[in-house]
Amino acid sequence: MGVQRVEDPAAERRMGPVDARLLMVEDDERIRLALGLALADEGCEVLEAESGERALELLATASVDVVLLDLMLPGMDGLDVCRTLRARGDQPIIIVSARTDTSDVIAGLEAGADDYVTKPLVASELAARVRALLRRRHPDGGSPRALRLGDVEILPDEEVVRRGGAEVHLTRTEFGLLLELAQARGAVVSREDLLRRVWGYDYFGDTRLLDVHVRRLRRKVERDPDQPERVLTVRGRGYKAVGVE
Amino acid sequence: MVRLSLRWRVALALGLGTVVLAGVLAVVTWNLASGYMLRQRETSAIRQAEVNVQLVDASLRTGSEGLGDLLSGLTSSSDATILIERPSGWLTSGRQVDADVLPPALLRMATDGVPAHQRLNAQGIPVLAVTLPVDGGESAYVELFPLTQLDQAFRFLSTVLAIGVAASGLLGLGLGHWAGRRALRPLTELTQAAARVVGGDLRARLPDRDDPDLASLAATFNRTADALEKRVRRDARFAGDVSHELRSPLTTMANAGAVLRRRRDELTGTAGRALDLLLGEIGRFQRMVVDLLEISRDDLRPDEVPDEVVDLGDVVRHVVAVRPGKPPEVDLVAQPPLVLADRRRLDRTVANLLDNADKYAGGAVRVAVLRHGGRARLEVDDSGPGVPDDQREQIFERFARGPYAGRRGVDGGSGLGLALVAQDVRWHGGAVRVEDRPGGGARFVVELPEVHR
Repeated sequence: MGVQRVEDPAAERRMGPVDARLLMVEDDERIRLALGLALADEGCEVLEAESGERALELLATASVDVVLLDLMLPGMDGLDVCRTLRARGDQPIIIVSARTDTSDVIAGLEAGADDYVTKPLVASELAARVRALLRRRHPDGGSPRALRLGDVEILPDEEVVRRGGAEVHLTRTEFGLLLELAQARGAVVSREDLLRRVWGYDYFGDTRLLDVHVRRLRRKVERDPDQPERVLTVRGRGYKAVGVE
Repeated sequence: MVRLSLRWRVALALGLGTVVLAGVLAVVTWNLASGYMLRQRETSAIRQAEVNVQLVDASLRTGSEGLGDLLSGLTSSSDATILIERPSGWLTSGRQVDADVLPPALLRMATDGVPAHQRLNAQGIPVLAVTLPVDGGESAYVELFPLTQLDQAFRFLSTVLAIGVAASGLLGLGLGHWAGRRALRPLTELTQAAARVVGGDLRARLPDRDDPDLASLAATFNRTADALEKRVRRDARFAGDVSHELRSPLTTMANAGAVLRRRRDELTGTAGRALDLLLGEIGRFQRMVVDLLEISRDDLRPDEVPDEVVDLGDVVRHVVAVRPGKPPEVDLVAQPPLVLADRRRLDRTVANLLDNADKYAGGAVRVAVLRHGGRARLEVDDSGPGVPDDQREQIFERFARGPYAGRRGVDGGSGLGLALVAQDVRWHGGAVRVEDRPGGGARFVVELPEVHR
């Protein structure tokens, strides 16, 4: 573990600087080393932790932009780390796991991760997702004025959502999702468009990601998440927000 | 000649047997019943005639004045006829019957003083003729008793028996059919279970049987299926474990490779060429491991079912849009069909078919979404060399590359693309095949069950 910074102007020219501070939580030393080198090539500053406990310890003092989290860790389980971090706030989290089963992906996202990627993956792909995640709070063409969705109030400028006057805590991803749907003003937004606009890249296929985040969002803005009134599913097409003012 | 099924042969045999048995019974019944009834009637007729003839005899002896009254009295209550041979000719009373219809042999016996009876047909109705000597054997007394009622009874009896035989024949046929089906049910179940196993459902089993004839069949089948399932699952789990364990070193290799690729310029000559080779193989290795894990996944997770309603047109548009290179013509029917799917797998299917066209046919020229025969249909056309008839099933097998074997080194495919397509399509309850594209090239056709809006 330690702080590494590899200066490589050539890499920054090619890929554009990411300039993000990452914490990689990974127990396999060789992966830490290789992925660390490659991410540094992408312009990232990478902190490393070999266990969940160590990661939480580090985060108590240092602040990072995104946590890259492996699920199979010695000691504290990756999902528990994810839940703990989510309970602390809206720290952006990307799970990097060798588990590809639908149930694992959903468990990871339900634990509060913003994104889920599977090994083997290359640093450039990961960097693209980091960039997208960090851009997430500023959707293109967003109107700066406040939007209302029933008793839910969205203030894009302050990045604040209030429900019945009280502030609701949304993650970056949930906020982006709600804002995209609200800005469509009742029109149906297709799954592809949502994935592209909120996650910010051409997400290939994995709509599980979207469904889990919509579910999480509903828990925060709906009276009864099982019978949604604000964020509705349109069968075979996508999602829409109802009652936008 | 059409060979009947076992079930129908059993039914026919039972039907015929029943008909024969019922027929014999009917004939015996007929003979006994009709004989008995006829004898009863004859006995009573003869007794009646004997009483009557004594009256007539007495009347003849006392003088013939009251004979006419007596005769009409005797015949008034019935259709009977009495004929008495007098020197002046035949005296007839009751229903008028010509004496000529009486057989001469019968009359001769009467005049000879011998009582006799015979069944005959007198002017349209069946009668029993009883002849007795009268007037001390001087003349013949003939009484004709109509048998119309007995005849009706016989007709009724024969009808009932005939219907009975026919009905029992049908009953036998039906019973045979039912019994045949019942007896063959274990075989039918065996066939269905075997078909399910062949179709990929490794959990198909036969129910336990108490019947000792069937218990061993069911037990043997179930044991075989158990062993097969265990083996398939073990193989699949092994492939899955291998792939899983390979993901970690692959991640290291891929990222170390990425670092090296950025510094490719720093390596020249032999080292540079070796690096290119290495990086290419890492990429191919990675695809192979990922595909292998995916392909072994279904055998491990038979419970997963497609549960998302997906617009097939959206899938095609999206996959085509995110692919680099020249896009094929996309041909969507108005209101593209919806299918019940796992979005990730459906995307992968379309992508794998496009990859396949890229690798072997210089790229897809057209992707179409249609409706055909009540099913959603996806067509991926290329203008390559096409697929020869004898390769059309084989190309969907794992690592089967057929005539392309020599060309694979260049493209770096996993050799699992089309096998994954076949598996994913089957998982969605659909079918995939390759045919000739009109105008040259191959056309891959995927058909999926459509969900209605």
